[in-house]
Amino acid sequence: MNEDKERPAAKRVAEIDPLELSRRRPDWSASQPMTRVQKGVLLAVLAVLGAAFLWAPLPTARGLIALCTFFYVIMTLYKFVVIRASLSPSAILRFSAAQIAAQEPREWPVFSVLVPMYKEPETVKQMVAALAEMDYPADKKDVQILLEADDAVTLAAARALTLPPGFRVTEIPESFPRTKPKACNIGLHLAQGEYLVIYDAEDLPEKDQLKKAVMAFESSPANVVCVQSRLNYYNPRQNVLTRWFTAEYSAWFDLQLPGLAALGAVIPLGGTSNHFKTKVLQELMGWDAYNVTEDCDLGVRLGRAGYATRMLETTTWEEACSDVRFWIKQRTRWQKGYIQTWFVHMRNPAKLLRELGFVNFLHYHLLIGGVTFSVLVNPVFWAMALVWFVFRPEGVAQLFPGPVFAAGAACLFLGNFVFVYINLLGCCKRKNDSLMGWALLTPIYWMMMSYSGWRAFIQFFRDPFVWEKTQHGLVKKSQA
Amino acid sequence: MDQERKTYRLVRLLTGAVTPVVLAAALLAFARLHDVAWEPGAQVAGLCRELLAGTTEGRQALFGSCWVAPLPVLVYLPFAWLLPEPAAGWAAFFSAWLFVFWTVREAVKATGQSGWRILFAQVAVAAMMAVSGQPQALQIATALTAGLMLLAAASLADWAAYRRLRDVVATGASGAFLMLCGFPVFGPAGLAVLLVPLAACGHRETRSRFQAWLLLGGLPLVYAVGVWLLLNRLILGDAFFFLRSLPSLVPALLPFLGALLLPGLLVLPALAVTWFCDARSETPGAGPVAASALLVSFPLVLIATVEVLARFGVDWNRMTLYVCALAVLMIALARLRQPVYRLALSLALFVWLSTLWLGGGAAAPSPAADSGQLCREVESYVNARTPYGRVFVLGYAGLDLLRGYAGERLEPNMDLHVGALRRAYKGQDLYLLVPRPEGPARAESVFWKHPDVYELGGDRLLYAAAFGTWRLFQVVSAPTQEQLDEWKKAR
Repeated sequence: MNEDKERPAAKRVAEIDPLELSRRRPDWSASQPMTRVQKGVLLAVLAVLGAAFLWAPLPTARGLIALCTFFYVIMTLYKFVVIRASLSPSAILRFSAAQIAAQEPREWPVFSVLVPMYKEPETVKQMVAALAEMDYPADKKDVQILLEADDAVTLAAARALTLPPGFRVTEIPESFPRTKPKACNIGLHLAQGEYLVIYDAEDLPEKDQLKKAVMAFESSPANVVCVQSRLNYYNPRQNVLTRWFTAEYSAWFDLQLPGLAALGAVIPLGGTSNHFKTKVLQELMGWDAYNVTEDCDLGVRLGRAGYATRMLETTTWEEACSDVRFWIKQRTRWQKGYIQTWFVHMRNPAKLLRELGFVNFLHYHLLIGGVTFSVLVNPVFWAMALVWFVFRPEGVAQLFPGPVFAAGAACLFLGNFVFVYINLLGCCKRKNDSLMGWALLTPIYWMMMSYSGWRAFIQFFRDPFVWEKTQHGLVKKSQA
Repeated sequence: MDQERKTYRLVRLLTGAVTPVVLAAALLAFARLHDVAWEPGAQVAGLCRELLAGTTEGRQALFGSCWVAPLPVLVYLPFAWLLPEPAAGWAAFFSAWLFVFWTVREAVKATGQSGWRILFAQVAVAAMMAVSGQPQALQIATALTAGLMLLAAASLADWAAYRRLRDVVATGASGAFLMLCGFPVFGPAGLAVLLVPLAACGHRETRSRFQAWLLLGGLPLVYAVGVWLLLNRLILGDAFFFLRSLPSLVPALLPFLGALLLPGLLVLPALAVTWFCDARSETPGAGPVAASALLVSFPLVLIATVEVLARFGVDWNRMTLYVCALAVLMIALARLRQPVYRLALSLALFVWLSTLWLGGGAAAPSPAADSGQLCREVESYVNARTPYGRVFVLGYAGLDLLRGYAGERLEPNMDLHVGALRRAYKGQDLYLLVPRPEGPARAESVFWKHPDVYELGGDRLLYAAAFGTWRLFQVVSAPTQEQLDEWKKAR
């Protein structure tokens, strides 16, 4: 209680501007999805392509296919480089139980924890219990459960609980846009800790994660302002979708993100369990409330501001979405967010290049733009490959002159295999051996990704700010 | 600390870039000086020419035989696309040997010993190739096979010793690429991959994950074979086309395949050592002794494989397998803990001994016939008889023969169907130019389709003439009405 008094008095929620970033730095915000210049460039490119198709359809198609093939080759090599880098000792920060124990006795800094929730009363109890059990001094925890004012059911569920010391409910006033980052921005203003982390409602972080994060910050250079924990799922065997999802997450968080960290690349942060230095995050004005993957956008902004992100060997267990409909909605949001982020930071490419440096500029395009582009063009190439295998028409062969055919065949046979194999590797590393067989069927999962990719692409132009919320608690329903 | 980092960077630069470049350049210079007619990828270059021209024959040749491996061709292809001959060959050769010296570095560095060991091992491998006096052994295919074999053997040894996931991946990937290096290494490649899960059986922690190691280690190889089968089905209409030469080359096929499994037994003692060491260890990992045992057993497998192939008369790739075996043995030697001067001495001794072996083991290269002259002779012969002549030069030997040919009278053919040719070129006088069925040429598809064609011709095939070791056959067909009319007029 005494320490509470020593902490700065919390601002009144109503006084806080959760849209500060979009007001003060509109050029950093997705509040305007595309600038006039971007729209003009896009229309000009489409017009040129249209004219080229009318003027010389075959050479244009050949040129586009050659460009796409080149892109696939680069992406395959890029994945290989990233996975190779993940072997580096600097890829991930590791702290053993003995190292943590050796820290005691010591004064741990106050750690703020933000838990944004919306209409998920069933997860409140589990979330509070998981956070209360975390191995961190209770008086140094500053946990805010961020609840929307109109979410009566979750508010009631939270109020019905006797919250442990250091826990509080922060009510987010109704306003547009109704997004997670907007709630987090209010939480950030009220945070009292030196460090801050975000957890989703259904998250089960490893108990010593906060201590590891503190040690990671203390042992890293000053420019490391964010530490990303690994995410994985506690319901991988619920159905085939959760199996694929877990395989994908294992590869992403256990191999690819560590690889990117080892390369010193811009890291698209995961939705939860990213630990920050609170002050730096406040200086950066928190999250963009208009971006539906505010975490990915923040990762890029950290990079542009000259800060670094590192990976931490600790896992937060989440619930994998087990319903295809909800999975598609969730993936649509993620992919739309990637498109938003790409356009936001490409408003001034020269400035972006200057701020990120050439190598990170390439990382940015391959990670944010490249991934989105590939899910959009994949179906076209799958269709062509299928037509070629089944009907062997001359037309398709004409589109692939000698070297392009060779590169395309290499991507088809080698590239796709590499992508599947990476998922297998992720499962093996996670000791999820029983998922490895399922990971072989990942191409079906890619088709679902492409479907959501196109959905995201269309939604980006029609409803850029719509936040398709992830449905949690499905695992409990299925168990019930 | 700074000094250590500086030393580390220096060693990395030296063993990862400087030495490999110098040694690869030295090997290239040696080969060029030793034999002016030497080419780093004779057959490969001809095949690339067809591939770049986008012909069906090129695609058929790429995947149509387990004896002419696709991997060297695929490695050569970008160079052939970007550079003219002979620069393309030299660049491909240079890259292939850079790869070998890189694999030597990777194979030795896992032991964490001084950089001198890597350097000595790289120099020893280069010296072995140079002092053997066999520039024909310096082919791109040999280099790629040796590099991959080194990687597979060393990764497997490291997997047994340290249980690192990366070694499973490296073994699996190198095993898969080895499969694409041709039939003689099918066995060793499969064995390396199979040993991944088996080597993990010694410790209860890793034994329980047998399936995971099998899948992770074996999948690349299975996939590579699957793609090869698929492409055979798509391009040649028969998924097993690339294997069809086996029954004709080795009539006792089942005993031959059975005998090819026998060399695998030679790893059993090493496997037992691995299990024993692993079982005694608290944490998974059998340690360097087991690694050495596995590394030493690999060359034995390779040599035994050569013996089996020789017994059945298909050992024309013996030089490649010998180079692989000796290179792996050198790595095993370089990984042993011993003073650097002793290592240098033992490697020098080993190089000297290996020259005796390689020198004796290599088949003398056949003198390169003047392919241009031969093509011109065939062309003149046909032109003297008909203005509508067309000559199909058969097989991989044909691709090689036509490499510098710019005319239109001769063209390659990989999958002979006399009937189809007659239908496609109705009204033309067709000829077949058949290579002598000796050495690797015995595996050409024409000889398993028409076993006696070289000696006796065949249905509708009449002997016409001989050009060096080649024989020309005329395809007999009923004249068309137009030809009959012309003939009548002429009479």
